[in-house]
Amino acid sequence: MNEKEQNQLFQQLMEQHKGILFKIARTYCQDEEDRQDIIQEMMIQIWQSLHKYNDKFKISTWLYRISLNVAISFYRKDAVRIGNRTALNEHFSQIQESETTEKEQQMKLLEQFINKLNDLDKALILLYLEDKSHAEISEILGISASNASTKVGRIKDKLKQYFTT
Amino acid sequence: MTLKKLWQSSTEQLELSLAIGKKNAAEITKIKVQTILFSMKPIKIFSILAGILWVGFVDVLMINLFQVANPFFLISAGIQVILTKLAIGIYLYQLILIHQVDMSGPILEIQEKLARLKSSTLWVARFLFLQLPVWTTFYWNESMLSSSNFLLYIIQGIVTLSFTVIAVWLFLNINYENRDKKWFRLIFNGTEWQPVIKSMELLHQIDHYKMNTRD
Repeated sequence: MNEKEQNQLFQQLMEQHKGILFKIARTYCQDEEDRQDIIQEMMIQIWQSLHKYNDKFKISTWLYRISLNVAISFYRKDAVRIGNRTALNEHFSQIQESETTEKEQQMKLLEQFINKLNDLDKALILLYLEDKSHAEISEILGISASNASTKVGRIKDKLKQYFTT
Repeated sequence: MTLKKLWQSSTEQLELSLAIGKKNAAEITKIKVQTILFSMKPIKIFSILAGILWVGFVDVLMINLFQVANPFFLISAGIQVILTKLAIGIYLYQLILIHQVDMSGPILEIQEKLARLKSSTLWVARFLFLQLPVWTTFYWNESMLSSSNFLLYIIQGIVTLSFTVIAVWLFLNINYENRDKKWFRLIFNGTEWQPVIKSMELLHQIDHYKMNTRD
């Protein structure tokens, strides 16, 4: 793959799968500025790993792995990247918080639940909510499918308990 | 509405307003950025080079002064140099690990590598503290000891003994289990230590996760 093709592929990937990056950033970061940093870091890692992509994995599995690895190992590094940042045109705050419908209340509860989880469980619940199969969850996390199934079962129980109390 | 559907509909709604446009993606391909991971490299390379210069200097000094220097200096400098070499070894180990990290690998494996890499920095701190006593002994000499000044003995003894006790105690106690203790927070208070502390917590989570997966 030459550089031009690589650039095109990268831009295409970002256009088609930007949702993965956003959802993970949203799961791990409350602060909007951090989200922008984290999305940029994910994009850089994806760009730098593109030549190593192994097509035995689905592209979404590969993107989830990189993005989750970046999100979990992300720390505020203000000093490191001042001057390197490009502005991402995000409008995360477009949700109208004034409308407190039942749906939004439930969403808030769900977000509260996710915020309380540790970094690894956050990855697990995100993949569960994204309707990933146990096989795909196991590939992304690097655990066996049966263990992924056990883990998902546990987190579902916790979730149920949280929403019924 | 199920929680899955709720999550998916809410994220779809927000995705629409997320504009990672072609412009942003194109910019990423052009920026010669240092990623967070690789930004760790320059400081480590600097530390390794400075460390090598220092141990080289002390080694040369010890070799050249071996016949004439007093044994207290030689032993103290020897201990200091050995501990510094161990610290350099840790930084080299970290550099090797940085090169081995492939962010597209499975989460548990990659996070364990990264967390071990970051938390191994604590070993550098442990070795640095362990050097404390030799800074109170390198200047000892025979004439000082034969002066039979009792007060000097007492003061020197107290200083060296207390430095030794503190150094050994810190060496043994700087670990994850003590992360919430006041003294630990005091020493590792700076923001530069936050990734190290967080990585230790993550290692704990990974261990727990692995244990659970064997259920």
